[in-house]
Amino acid sequence: MSADARNGAGRPPLAGIRVVDFSWIVAGPQATRILANFGAEVIRVERTDAYETIRMAAINKEATPGPNRSGSFANLNADKRSITLNVRHPKGFDLLVSLISKSDVVVENFSSRVLDSWNLGYDELAKIKADIIYLSMAGFGHSGRYRDYDTWGPTVQAISGLTHLSGLPEEAPAGWGYSYMDHTGGYFGALSVLFALHYRNRTGRGQWIDLSQVEGAVTLTGPHALDFQVNGRPSRRPGYPPGNRSVHPAVAPHNAYRCAGKDGAGQDQWVAIACYREEQWRALAAEMGRPEWVADPDFATNVGRRRNQDALDAAISAWTLDQDKYAVMERLQRAGVPCGAVQTSQDRVETDPQLRALELYSTLTHAELGPNLYEEPVFKLSRTPGRVRQPGPLLAADNDYVFGTVLGLSEQKIAELATEGVI
Amino acid sequence: MSSRVPLHLQPPSGAGDLRVIELGDARVQYAGKLLADMGADLIKVESPCGEPARQIGPFVDDLPDPNRSLHFWHYNTSKRGVTLDLDHPSGPELLRRLVRGADVLLEGQLPGRLDVLGLTYESLAAENPRLIHVGVTPFGRTGPWRDFEAGELIHLALGGEMASCGYDDPTAPPIAGGGGQAYQIAGNYTAIGTMMAVVERDFSGQGQFVDVSVHMACATCTEMAVPNYLYRGMVVRRQTGRHATVTPSPPRQWRCKDGIYVQLMMPALSFSVYQWATLVNWLDEHGQADDLKDERYRDPFVRVAETQHIAEVLGRFAETLTSEQAFHGGQLHNLPWAPVRAPEENLYDRHFADRGFWEEVEHPDLSRTLQYPGAPYQTPEMPWRISRPAPRLGEHNREVYCGDLGFRPDDLGAMRESGLI
Repeated sequence: MSADARNGAGRPPLAGIRVVDFSWIVAGPQATRILANFGAEVIRVERTDAYETIRMAAINKEATPGPNRSGSFANLNADKRSITLNVRHPKGFDLLVSLISKSDVVVENFSSRVLDSWNLGYDELAKIKADIIYLSMAGFGHSGRYRDYDTWGPTVQAISGLTHLSGLPEEAPAGWGYSYMDHTGGYFGALSVLFALHYRNRTGRGQWIDLSQVEGAVTLTGPHALDFQVNGRPSRRPGYPPGNRSVHPAVAPHNAYRCAGKDGAGQDQWVAIACYREEQWRALAAEMGRPEWVADPDFATNVGRRRNQDALDAAISAWTLDQDKYAVMERLQRAGVPCGAVQTSQDRVETDPQLRALELYSTLTHAELGPNLYEEPVFKLSRTPGRVRQPGPLLAADNDYVFGTVLGLSEQKIAELATEGVI
Repeated sequence: MSSRVPLHLQPPSGAGDLRVIELGDARVQYAGKLLADMGADLIKVESPCGEPARQIGPFVDDLPDPNRSLHFWHYNTSKRGVTLDLDHPSGPELLRRLVRGADVLLEGQLPGRLDVLGLTYESLAAENPRLIHVGVTPFGRTGPWRDFEAGELIHLALGGEMASCGYDDPTAPPIAGGGGQAYQIAGNYTAIGTMMAVVERDFSGQGQFVDVSVHMACATCTEMAVPNYLYRGMVVRRQTGRHATVTPSPPRQWRCKDGIYVQLMMPALSFSVYQWATLVNWLDEHGQADDLKDERYRDPFVRVAETQHIAEVLGRFAETLTSEQAFHGGQLHNLPWAPVRAPEENLYDRHFADRGFWEEVEHPDLSRTLQYPGAPYQTPEMPWRISRPAPRLGEHNREVYCGDLGFRPDDLGAMRESGLI
């Protein structure tokens, strides 16, 4: 046996781990995607009578819906398997129980009552498999007076405080232009399952992880709660949130500045510039051809720059306005100034040379959508790397594998169950 | 002498068997917190003048002090803290001694910094084959932007987040949402990568190197933007208080009569006839139903076609309510509505008390306890807790260098005087 094989090189970290995955839309699937990329066998259990929402988001060239025509589904569910199963049919329920008895993890992001209503709350799951790890991801969690309330990304962001922290002062909140908390809920889900797997490796015990996406979101706003308790300072106050300016650390310049041209949606192009240290400010002033600023009391110190931030921002904006955002970024970075183009999706895919160097995107071929780019895992393990291997599964693509190979049913039996509407 | 309970007497927790050496600032402090709050014995190694995060406010009483930064307090719970000057001639060897006895080295040093000091993964692993060395950089270890200057705002710009967040007004700038999200996105991936290597090591007995870049992490966290481009060739357009989309969508965010905004989601396509009727009744009780009582709205496809109109009716209705009335009233009518709260307002919502979410932490130097955000996941079997507040600068030098590494107290004095610690 080679040294590599002895060291387990190439054996994925989650080889042999089977996940029964009821999750849908984004938060749950984000969690199980990470597990699947690193070798877990993630089996999406999907309905026989309806198609999952993200499957039906018509993210394809013709914008026509269909269960296998969503590019966002294909990326988010890469490396997973799909079965259809009617869990409300007694035979379907029995098959589910049988599958769970051969699995390690169950994941769902339904509202809090759903699995209980199937008689599959944690206590029941643990009777089926004593060391099962059950991850539930309801918006408000499975307890508390709001446990029956529903959430989705933007409402989690709203109630947690994240929406309020995003915007120009004295304006309506800008909020987050996508379900940021669906991604982060997924990250917390994957992380908690990994803690639980490590815990099980040491103790032999499974557990229930009751993840509330709202609670997860609140943990992302920590210093504000402390500021209020210690200094009595509320986040609802004049001048706050500060748009793209910076209160902590209190530095200037720190903002986005308009550049030349339009992006792929016809919006203006922008660049972000921030100076955290005096030498970065001096370099910016030199690049802008304003060496006199270094002696000017209005701009020579950070305190002065913050006091005169309007004039400072206007001057920088006048300088960037007729320049390409990448040209500004290159010249300022060469001078040692923190500066980044505001990149759109098009920019990241077509232009960003750093993502190319890091090999974020790989080409995979989907049976109905054809070849396209898929995201590799973000973190790279040197000896047992994860990778994206397959696009998200076609609906029911793995019925034969799961019901036949894993659960041992004959082809004839599988055909019968399909006719009966069980699978 | 270490004040820690011996490992074999501690109740097991998610990361309780792990000793972690954390060497870094913004790129790793949050990931370290995730591990430490889950039980890891984490030692934060700082330069003798402290990590830059200690200079970021808000501060207690608004007086800057390296031991009174509330930003640092939040991100460094449950950790012990020592000082060590890596640039001192004896610095690298002292770090080696710490890492030799550790399970995880969690570092956020710029590419090459540790290599020139001889602290490569290969050399550390030669002394400790079980070591999991996690290295977090701004842009990765190769590539044209590798040595570029970074920061929270720069990462949200380059990562794609800002391009999706902003306002309907096309003259408005893209907005970087506040609260430190770029480093939290990267930190979440860093913690996941660390635990993935830990789970792998449970099987193989071997460590490895885990490579994370903040830029790559941020670039994967923008939901539909990249798929819309890859499959439809379209770039999403920013809108106020809602998803950036390819074609404009109806408003979702309305200002209630108490001046606080609410996020109003529309009735789903799956709304039953009964659910729709109940909702319309609610509006009607307030004289706000407009024409929604008309029978044609019972057809969900008509409701889809009339989304803009229905959104406006709901929005005008919300304006007559307080944000809490809209929140609870909407939820009771099967709508996932939510108020746009300030973060600290959740200190007072009894739901979080029901869940035991807020975590009390004693601060003896303030003579009070503070409520910290609690666990991002409730795991009664492997309890999450803040085991101590963030360390003062060098607070555990004696405990770690003498207690764990066996230096004599006299040695410590010399190390201090020479600037090593």
